[in-house]
Amino acid sequence: MSAPLLRVREIDAFIEQFHILEDVTFDVPDGGITVLLGRNGAGKTTTLRSVLGMTSVTSGDIEYNGQSIVGKKTHTIAQMGIGYVPEHRAIFSELTVQENLRIAARHKDDLPRNIEMIFTLFPDLKRLYQLQGGNLSGGQQQMLAIARALVPDNRLLLIDEPSEGLAPVIIEQVIAAIKALAETKTVLLVEQNFRVASQLADNYVIMDHGQSVAHGVMASLSQDDEIVQRYLGVGMH
Amino acid sequence: MTRSDAVLITAIVGAILSFSFISSGGNVGSFGITILSGLFQGMLLFLVAAGLSLIFGLMDVLNFAQGAYFMVGAYLAYDIQHTGGLIDVGIADPGLRFIVGVIAATLAGAVLGVLLELLLRPVYKRHLFLLVLTFGVSIVMLEGIKAFYSVTPYTWTEFFGIREAQFTFLGQNFTQYRLFVLAVGFALMVGISLLLNRTRIGIIIRAGVQDREMVSALGINVQTVFTFVFTLGCAVAAFGGAIAAPFLGATITMGTTYLVAAIAVIVLGGLGSYEGTAIGAMIVGLALAAMQQFSITINQPVLASITPMMLLIAVLLIRPRGLFGQER
Amino acid sequence: MDNVQDVFQETPQDVFRPPPMWRVFLREHWLHLLIVAVLIVLPHAIGWITGDSPFGRVRGSRVIMAGESTYWQAIFIEMFSLAVLVMSYNLMFGFTGVISFGHALFFGIGGYAVGIVVQYWDVDPNLAFIAGVLLVIFITSILGLLIGLLSLRLRGIYFAIFTLAIAEMAWLYAGSWRLTRGEDGLTINRLPEWIDPERSRLMVYYIGLALFVTAFLVIRRLVRSPAGAVFQAIRENEDRAKAIGYNTLRYKLLSIVVASVLAGLAGILMGILNKSARPELLGVTYTVDALLITIIGGVGTLAGPVVGTAGLHLLELWVRDSSIILSLNLGLFEFTLNFSQDWILIIGVVFVVVVLVFPYGLVGTWYRLRARVGDWWERRRATT
Ligand SMILES: Nc1ncnc2c1ncn2[C@@H]1O[C@H](COP(=O)(O)OP(=O)(O)O)[C@@H](O)[C@H]1O
Ligand SMILES: [Mg+2]
Repeated sequence: MSAPLLRVREIDAFIEQFHILEDVTFDVPDGGITVLLGRNGAGKTTTLRSVLGMTSVTSGDIEYNGQSIVGKKTHTIAQMGIGYVPEHRAIFSELTVQENLRIAARHKDDLPRNIEMIFTLFPDLKRLYQLQGGNLSGGQQQMLAIARALVPDNRLLLIDEPSEGLAPVIIEQVIAAIKALAETKTVLLVEQNFRVASQLADNYVIMDHGQSVAHGVMASLSQDDEIVQRYLGVGMH
Repeated sequence: MTRSDAVLITAIVGAILSFSFISSGGNVGSFGITILSGLFQGMLLFLVAAGLSLIFGLMDVLNFAQGAYFMVGAYLAYDIQHTGGLIDVGIADPGLRFIVGVIAATLAGAVLGVLLELLLRPVYKRHLFLLVLTFGVSIVMLEGIKAFYSVTPYTWTEFFGIREAQFTFLGQNFTQYRLFVLAVGFALMVGISLLLNRTRIGIIIRAGVQDREMVSALGINVQTVFTFVFTLGCAVAAFGGAIAAPFLGATITMGTTYLVAAIAVIVLGGLGSYEGTAIGAMIVGLALAAMQQFSITINQPVLASITPMMLLIAVLLIRPRGLFGQER
Repeated sequence: MDNVQDVFQETPQDVFRPPPMWRVFLREHWLHLLIVAVLIVLPHAIGWITGDSPFGRVRGSRVIMAGESTYWQAIFIEMFSLAVLVMSYNLMFGFTGVISFGHALFFGIGGYAVGIVVQYWDVDPNLAFIAGVLLVIFITSILGLLIGLLSLRLRGIYFAIFTLAIAEMAWLYAGSWRLTRGEDGLTINRLPEWIDPERSRLMVYYIGLALFVTAFLVIRRLVRSPAGAVFQAIRENEDRAKAIGYNTLRYKLLSIVVASVLAGLAGILMGILNKSARPELLGVTYTVDALLITIIGGVGTLAGPVVGTAGLHLLELWVRDSSIILSLNLGLFEFTLNFSQDWILIIGVVFVVVVLVFPYGLVGTWYRLRARVGDWWERRRATT
């Protein structure tokens, strides 16, 4: 196996005085989808934010593509080729769909080069191109948020709970899109919906109480009722 | 802007104008004064409020030094225009000297804006300190002006071209300079609007008003955008002071007066809304002019000076989110 | 803060056999007691050293307030007034996190209300003065309550600009109102003899000292009570304090009302000392003073406002008396900075530097240093 694209080593993170992450350690292999699982409040979002330098990491190391990125500024980390699709999407509601995409371009030709690929993944966006982000439905906003991360040539995408609050039909579309884009990019996905996660992921990392407690190949997790029950508290099916 | 917003604005402006018309005893001439003087003051207010609003929207900082930039602009323009100040540019033509003065004031505003932003950087994460620091800087600027110049108000004495020529409106004579300020202010209003709506940096600023963190997660260095906005805001305020000087002269109280009125503007317009700031400025300008008229009629000059505060208090009590502000 | 330390330092043996009360009290308060003692004897000490009576000089049948001792008494009376104003501001801003840009409103009301009652109410001056003081307490507490109630609707910056607008309005209005004698200000010359600084300044000095000590004790008591803990919770994060179940409005009101009344009392003292109430009392300068001295002294510390006021006031005195002139000639323009005239400019620069370099102020920085040295000492002792 080749070197992992993202290596997280024993990181600790605080929000104000609260110790949120403790010794979190995991790898994201180059290519494919790795899913971060865990109950609400386990620290999954904080982990993604720590990778991007939005939550400050007090000890431990994070390597991206062989380079330590701990302590770097958020925009510098993003420019190294990491795209972020946050929880609750965080699209710019006052901006049009086009502007939402245009703002993500790091070079002049980013948007023209990738727009066809984006429209193929999310045909709806073409129709909505001049609409304000705030007027989009939840599913359309989610698609826009993912599309936004696809405008520059990112290598790693951090996607936080894309299926949250969406209708089943829409979830299917989002799953299909993530599957398709994972052909060319590496994805670190946070997903509460175990069914969705098991459909998509190649590898898993489980977090509990701010710690990384288990990891492995997704196919084997689906067989391991005990771990699933203990950390995720959900039935397998 | 929705239809109910438009109705509301029309109602407010209508009320102000009717008030001015009735309180002047149906005198069309003083009605004209209210309108022209109101738009004139509204435009100057806009120039102070624009930066205030952009900076607040993007960084959640109410820049209390904004009024001081207006004042500094006026002093520089005054000084360059008139002989015997600190700066002598040695240009004989007064019109040309005025242009040089305005440009110099704007540049000085820009440079001081960059400095202020650099000064604020270490405390960006501590909101209370940001606020009191801009407050402190405004004091330093005010006292600096007092040290450089004097506390006696300077009255503009050199008249030239448009500052002299007159035109007639509703039976009253006005100097053409008012029109010049209106035209220049309007051009800037449109220019900034184009910048915000058409350019990438404008898109970034509007996005940053909503979610600064997400903007940096896209790989954009928000810090440089902050610097840009600060520079722009302070330069525009200093420019406003410079073009106001031929009318208002240069006084040490002008900064605070315009700051309070400009705060009323941005609260009325809804903090962070550019459109709201532009419309709010015109409304506050008209209200100020109407009250000035009224205070002369009833011989209570203090009424005119407390109008900005009364407006601010009224807006805060009645509708703190302003006309266009989102529910917060 | 000290309480927390005490809890940790108290080992079981200490609890078992506590040292006598008076010794605990002395150990904790020796500095406070010393300062008060020095302030009590100060007028007499100056009088004794310089040979000028602390009661003033006798001129024929009258006593006039001349000489070193009475000169310094006036300076200290002003300092007491300012210190109370700053302490009251710190209670609101430093301990509760409520930022007001219009605190001078209450200061000015103090001076003006007493002045108006004394000057216009034609009764025994003693009665008029007492009535004036009660009126000030009444007005400032009601106004503090009203403005405080608005802080429910207007948070943070909105509250700050609201108070700024109110105070500026009062300032402009006082400068043009007949009753307050407009810009000239209201002369207060009908004070009863015992509180007239031109006739019995030493008495005013001791009254000022009493006000200062009382204000300090009241604020200290308040911030070390359970209410003080809530104040600080509100300062750290009001929403969280509310979520925990505190009625934050009630505590904010308490803090604002106490601060308003204290500022009003400080204003009375200033009005008495100047024997006039002028619009400046309501002006932004006193608010700025309160804000700047709070921060320079140390936000949210008990000693900060006192140290800040004393330090800055004495420095101001010295600078104004001296004739330091800084001259700059930069070719294009030249200018001179006259330190004695540009005092506020210097204060402003000091303030900006303090905010950036010592955000905890003089006292706060000193506490941190002491704590760090203490830690280092503990560690050293632990290793040896
Ligand atoms: N701003 C904050 N302040 C205090 N605690 C927070 C904050 N944000 C998150 N937390 C805490 O951090 C923990 C992890 O949160 P998060 O990373 O969002 O979990 P997840 O994404 O796994 O649901 C939770 O216990 C949450 O309460
Ligand atoms: Mg989460």
